Amino acid sequence: MPQLATANFGDIDYREESVLEFPEGLPAFEQERRFVAIEEQATSPVIFLQSLARADLAFITLPALLVEPGYRPALSAEDLQALGLAAERQPEQGAEVLCLAIITISEGRPPTANLMAPVVVNLRTRRALQAIQSEAGYSHQHPLGAVFPEEVCS
Amino acid sequence: MLVIRRKSGESILIGSDVEVQIIEVTPSRVKIGITAPSEVLILRKEIQLAQQENLAAARGVSVEGIRAAISRIYRSTPGLRSKNPQASPISHS
Repeated sequence: MPQLATANFGDIDYREESVLEFPEGLPAFEQERRFVAIEEQATSPVIFLQSLARADLAFITLPALLVEPGYRPALSAEDLQALGLAAERQPEQGAEVLCLAIITISEGRPPTANLMAPVVVNLRTRRALQAIQSEAGYSHQHPLGAVFPEEVCS
Repeated sequence: MLVIRRKSGESILIGSDVEVQIIEVTPSRVKIGITAPSEVLILRKEIQLAQQENLAAARGVSVEGIRAAISRIYRSTPGLRSKNPQASPISHS
């Protein structure tokens, strides 16, 4: 089993088939193509995305449906094609794709979730991308109050 | 902010070498064409927002802090943990 040295989690073992492939990287991190999803019992339901290439790069995410029940991103035809999904309908969350909201924790303000740009993972192929929502009205700084109380900041 | 009314087919000029033309107007969206030198970066604003938010999110990661905060939340709210969904289908362990 491959091993990975990370800044936040120490040395971890991971399975090759659990790696998420981002063919285009993420906005501002276009060179980061491969992440491993890490869940710990102690921090559930948080899912960390740890870069395979950069030991110091990790994102905190939560399933978007936990942040906003009823969350329904509209994936563009280009995004659906890039994910290898049928272009004529939206995929089923939980069965075909998982939508993760990246959490921002900055000093001096409550944590927020980026619902404008969810990470969408094709659960069958593990191909993933950040699907920017231009029209749905979801915020890139959605307050996390109910899910993730403010003390996470402190 | 400068506000200008334009009709379909009309243009505005920005500086000496950027032209923005209104190509089509519908009730819900506007199609615009931009002519600019190749070194001028043209970006949908939400992509810039996504870049900035990703940079901010990557700066704030302290797994130790999150572990401590979440365990405090669980201690102060008995029963919360059992409401959490099962391990997601993508985790590595």
